[in-house]
Amino acid sequence: MSSVSMTSRRKPIDWWRMSGRVFLVLLLIFTILPMAWMVITSLKTGFAAMQYPPQWWPTEPTLDNYIRLLDPSQNIGRDFLRYFLNSIFVSVVTTVLAVVIAVPAAYAFSRFHFPGRTFMFFAVLLRNMFPAVIFLVPLFILMRWLGLVNTHGSLILTYLTFGLPLAIWLLKGFYDNIPIQLEQAARIDGATRFQAFFLIVMPLSSPGIIATSIYSFIGAWNEYIYAYTFLNKNDTMTLPVGIQRFFAENATDWPGLMAATFMMSIPVVVLFLVLQKYFVRALTEGAVKH
Amino acid sequence: MAEVVLKDVVKTYGNIFAVNHVSLKVADGEFVALVGPSGCGKTTTLNLVAGLIPMSGGDVMIGDRVVTDLDPKDRDIAMVFQNYALYPNKSVYNNLAFPLQMRKLSKSEIDSKVQAAAKVLDITHLLQRKPRELSGGQQQRVALGRALVRDPKVFLMDEPLSNLDAKLRVQMRSEIKRFHQDLNATIIYVTHDQLEAVTMADKMAVMNGGFLQQYDTPANVFAHPVNMFVASFVGSPAMSLIPLTAATKGTDVVLTSAEGWELPLSPVNSQKALKAKSNKVVLGARHSTVRLHKSQVPGSVPGKVYTVEPTGDVTFAQVFVSSAILNISLAPSVVIRPDETVFIEFDQERMHLFDGETEMALAG
Repeated sequence: MSSVSMTSRRKPIDWWRMSGRVFLVLLLIFTILPMAWMVITSLKTGFAAMQYPPQWWPTEPTLDNYIRLLDPSQNIGRDFLRYFLNSIFVSVVTTVLAVVIAVPAAYAFSRFHFPGRTFMFFAVLLRNMFPAVIFLVPLFILMRWLGLVNTHGSLILTYLTFGLPLAIWLLKGFYDNIPIQLEQAARIDGATRFQAFFLIVMPLSSPGIIATSIYSFIGAWNEYIYAYTFLNKNDTMTLPVGIQRFFAENATDWPGLMAATFMMSIPVVVLFLVLQKYFVRALTEGAVKH
Repeated sequence: MAEVVLKDVVKTYGNIFAVNHVSLKVADGEFVALVGPSGCGKTTTLNLVAGLIPMSGGDVMIGDRVVTDLDPKDRDIAMVFQNYALYPNKSVYNNLAFPLQMRKLSKSEIDSKVQAAAKVLDITHLLQRKPRELSGGQQQRVALGRALVRDPKVFLMDEPLSNLDAKLRVQMRSEIKRFHQDLNATIIYVTHDQLEAVTMADKMAVMNGGFLQQYDTPANVFAHPVNMFVASFVGSPAMSLIPLTAATKGTDVVLTSAEGWELPLSPVNSQKALKAKSNKVVLGARHSTVRLHKSQVPGSVPGKVYTVEPTGDVTFAQVFVSSAILNISLAPSVVIRPDETVFIEFDQERMHLFDGETEMALAG
């Protein structure tokens, strides 16, 4: 009798919860596996990478592929480092410009009432309502006309047209949520309009600024189609195009390719891990009584 | 401290007058409440004094300086906001220090002033906290502290108590009043709560529809409202207004109702009623000035009890008199029931008469 009552008191298994967990684990494997394979392959020799059945774990793991790519005295290393620096330059400049332009633009859209405000805000967002590839040919013609083909300027301009609308829209949401009384209080406390913005409002919008930065950086860092179309000289190429070219020329060098792609993913991961801390902290610090 | 003068101040949004030619003078050390229903232009008026929004016309003077075209930072004012507007990313200490830092005071000066203000408001133990870690009452104190730390010419307060719960509100009300007395500060205080205005202010400015309706001491506004709006806005429960028709009977005037009863007016009140533009006259009576009888007495008019609300000390009754609601306060011992017919006697000395056309008070 007592054992029956014991079992009936036991918590029933929540199958719904259980199946959710199983699904998450499967999803995780699906996401992680290609990345794990990328890292594993990058540690193999060229011969080991081609074996069948595949080696699940390299019998003779090697860092040769990384050393080759990072050695500026070799052609392949020189190219890879150049692509890497090009990508850093394009992405950083795009990010900085996006923030510098989007912050005042979003603030203006949020705070000031000027003629055509609604229309202009719509116009800003209009660009993002179309697939990016639609603008490929028109933008190429425009860049040629401007003499910007084969320069990083063409990419930075293009990436800004993708990144800015979303950045402005995102930041406007942040400014809308910051009570105007905070600025008014600051102005009464002796701040100029600009100081009120710079000392009070901008720090409060830092989660938005960080999110905007991450978005712009990753967008620019990963972009392929425009970089492929606008750049055709080795010394201006960015990583996605450069790696693709590397792949085309050395079709069998899988370990080298994997090492390159792994290194390409490092800055994004590091950026996200470092800034995520600030992102969360900034979000929890707001707390204004409405 | 300094006096504040508003001269013919106008603020328009498109064709709408948010503030319509408002003129008033706040004397040095005076506590003035701007009071009115929401949307009456009181907060807009305060923002114009603060310089937070551009004026459409008129002038504002603080002390002997015209500040109409000055930035808020140059007006030497302090403001307390309804939502306190504490800087959420700064500690209480830095919230208090901010106005002093903006004025480039030395670190030691800032520290001594912040400590002094914190001591006055009893928030010294909170200085290292962030605003979100404080209760509503504590945030309110910090907001006051940030205003007084700088020793400004005028304090502007925009509904500073309306985010507090009822009990705390009463407590902070007396603290702000005390604060005014101790500092002899010039304060302009915006509220929609006429009780706050009446209890705290030296003078109250009643606003409606962008117009300044009446500007006087609370006692005078209460005793001599200039029009029907002010009469019904100030006082709780509100003054009851009964629309009637005036008719002459010999030398005297009687007010007649649609139901057919007549209320003879005293000679003084007859004089007033004769000044109305038409025969439409509105009778105004405060709850404490009318008497309720169970049976007809000379000069009384009939009414029907609508609701009875005992509060302990006093019982409030609402009585239908000529299809208008009349508030009456009664001793708790008086027992009346809803739908009972009662007889109302008005105090001729303390009744108010308004012109039914212009809604303005009729004077003798």
